[in-house]
Amino acid sequence: MKNTILITIDALRADMVDLYKDRGLTPFIDSLSQKMTIYKDAHSTGPYTQASFQGILASQYYLEYGKEKKLNKDKILISEILKKAGIYTAAFHSNAYLSYYFGYNRGWDVFYDSMADEVTDMYPFVRGDGINAKVEEFLKNFSFSSPLFLWVHYMDVHEPYIAEKDYLKKIAPDLSVIKDEMFTLFKDTLLKRDVSDSDKVDTLKKLYMAKVAETDGYIKDLFDILSSHNLTESSDIIITSDHGDEFLEHGGLSHDGKMYSELINVPLLIYSKDIEKKEIDTPVSLIDIPPTIAAFMETEPAPSFKGDSLWPIDLISPRTLYGEAMGKLGHKEKDSDRPIYYMIDEGIKVIYREDGSTWEAYKRDDDPADRNNIPSGISGGKKDKLNKFINRNQIKRRRYGR
Amino acid sequence: MVDNKRKKELEDKIEKSKKVIREAFSKFDPQDLAVTWTGGKDSTLTTWLVKSVCDEDGTKMPKAMTIDEGDSFEEIQSFLKKYSKEWGIDLVWCKNADVIDAAGGELGADVKVEDLNSQNQKEIRERLQYTGDKFPFEAESWIGNHLMKTVVFNNFLKEHNIKAMFMGIRWDEQPARKKDDYFAEKGDSYTPTHTRIQPILHFTERDIWDTTKTFDIPYCPLYEQGYRSLGAATTSVKMSDIPAWEQDLENTVERAGRRQDKEKAMDRLRKLGYM
Repeated sequence: MKNTILITIDALRADMVDLYKDRGLTPFIDSLSQKMTIYKDAHSTGPYTQASFQGILASQYYLEYGKEKKLNKDKILISEILKKAGIYTAAFHSNAYLSYYFGYNRGWDVFYDSMADEVTDMYPFVRGDGINAKVEEFLKNFSFSSPLFLWVHYMDVHEPYIAEKDYLKKIAPDLSVIKDEMFTLFKDTLLKRDVSDSDKVDTLKKLYMAKVAETDGYIKDLFDILSSHNLTESSDIIITSDHGDEFLEHGGLSHDGKMYSELINVPLLIYSKDIEKKEIDTPVSLIDIPPTIAAFMETEPAPSFKGDSLWPIDLISPRTLYGEAMGKLGHKEKDSDRPIYYMIDEGIKVIYREDGSTWEAYKRDDDPADRNNIPSGISGGKKDKLNKFINRNQIKRRRYGR
Repeated sequence: MVDNKRKKELEDKIEKSKKVIREAFSKFDPQDLAVTWTGGKDSTLTTWLVKSVCDEDGTKMPKAMTIDEGDSFEEIQSFLKKYSKEWGIDLVWCKNADVIDAAGGELGADVKVEDLNSQNQKEIRERLQYTGDKFPFEAESWIGNHLMKTVVFNNFLKEHNIKAMFMGIRWDEQPARKKDDYFAEKGDSYTPTHTRIQPILHFTERDIWDTTKTFDIPYCPLYEQGYRSLGAATTSVKMSDIPAWEQDLENTVERAGRRQDKEKAMDRLRKLGYM
């Protein structure tokens, strides 16, 4: 049996990856493309970590049982079923929302969440080189006597966007910002969602792009480490992201409770030495990742999984995609926040925001950036269909006290 | 009660620990050694093992130290008093009185950094690089944990000229511990150089309870009420109402009853602006 490696990059928009829009930011990932299946239209199940990783690791929706503080025990992580099947499971990441405290430690033989390590205000997570060092150390001591499922997550693209000079220079040769100024931009502009000065927002976007380029380098280093253990040869490698980031596309910054494409469209790539380059245009969801991994590892998917395997690719049929999150605006969640939902069905994206009961619709083909709301798109039973999703599980939710 | 096969297993684990303890005594004099004794199950077993070796070999029992973080359980305090007396152990009670005074002894009260002595101020500004004017008095918060535990521990080493400490750390506590050695050198510009001796690394939580019960080792009554892991009084949470040793130790998490994991995750989220 082959190994499976899941690489996730926090807050990486699809259109920052060269295979989706060529900006020259990810030359290394690009160099793998001849051996990749490229899902051109992949969607996250939500616009921020708590909502999207439910899809990526548990094949679940965030509000399945109502709003939860920690991962609900009835949501089975892919690591849990693989471990039970005798596969060795190892995780290396630095995202607090995915830490032991929030319940993401379930099912891992090795679970490094970095929470015991010291971090700084400018880099409030273990950076890519630190994560790679952990992976390298782990692999050095790993016996390879059972198949391996390895998950590696990078936080580097996530704000506060403290960019390295060399990368920034390539993206914006004339821009001169020192790290203290970058941190001030994070504190005073980004965190406050102050969009009054478009120059500052533009600078933030360039810093973000520099972080994307930096992270491409960490992926390259990781592939070097993997390849020294023959793992690039013997593994299916999935590369994706949990959500994007906004730079004024819909009037805001960062990743709040919105469902537009700059937050929901993510890269999804599968690399294997056994395949040839292929692009898939069918819309797919990150909720399909756990069943896909289960298929790769010849393991039965958990009954709780909501998605369908993306493998083999010939069997991908058009499907309806959903996502849900709390519709918070600004980083901090408030008790008064109400949910927001989206559905992609037959080329139409429908968004429903419970607060204010607003409906929007966008045509995926003509308007992939979700710019022109077409109220007519909501007819034809679409509202009913999304409502059915929204109102599922009422009994279970009451049980969990929503 | 355990069967004979299991009892033999436990005896082997005890022997392994005693070997580590004897090795420690061959490297250090008793007056240069001390035992960390929090009153929890792991450090109590460690203390019991050190005492057993001393009794068997006619070695002088090293002193023990315990830290009062200003938020400790009554039950732990009386347990420690009772058994240090019964076992004839010199138990040193350590605390950061400066911080407790500055908080007026009140949990959650704001402590002004400027009210603290120079050592505590230096730790906050230089080591933790905290720039705020004040912080809440909580034993298991980031600053609280450092001042009430780490600083107190380091001061104890200095004041008593301790070269090595026995500690009740276990491999199965968390993945980060998996690489720990029985003897570990510690020390940096803030921490006096010392050796940490960890004789019960190979005990699992289940082993601890089986050993405690089989060999009639005392334990704090809080475990009987359902606590699995004891930290500060106001932040330790009962995992269940049945005694710790009757809980599903293998499939549930020991430290979920403590708030440290939460504090650490929250601190990260604060830094990212989420809180």
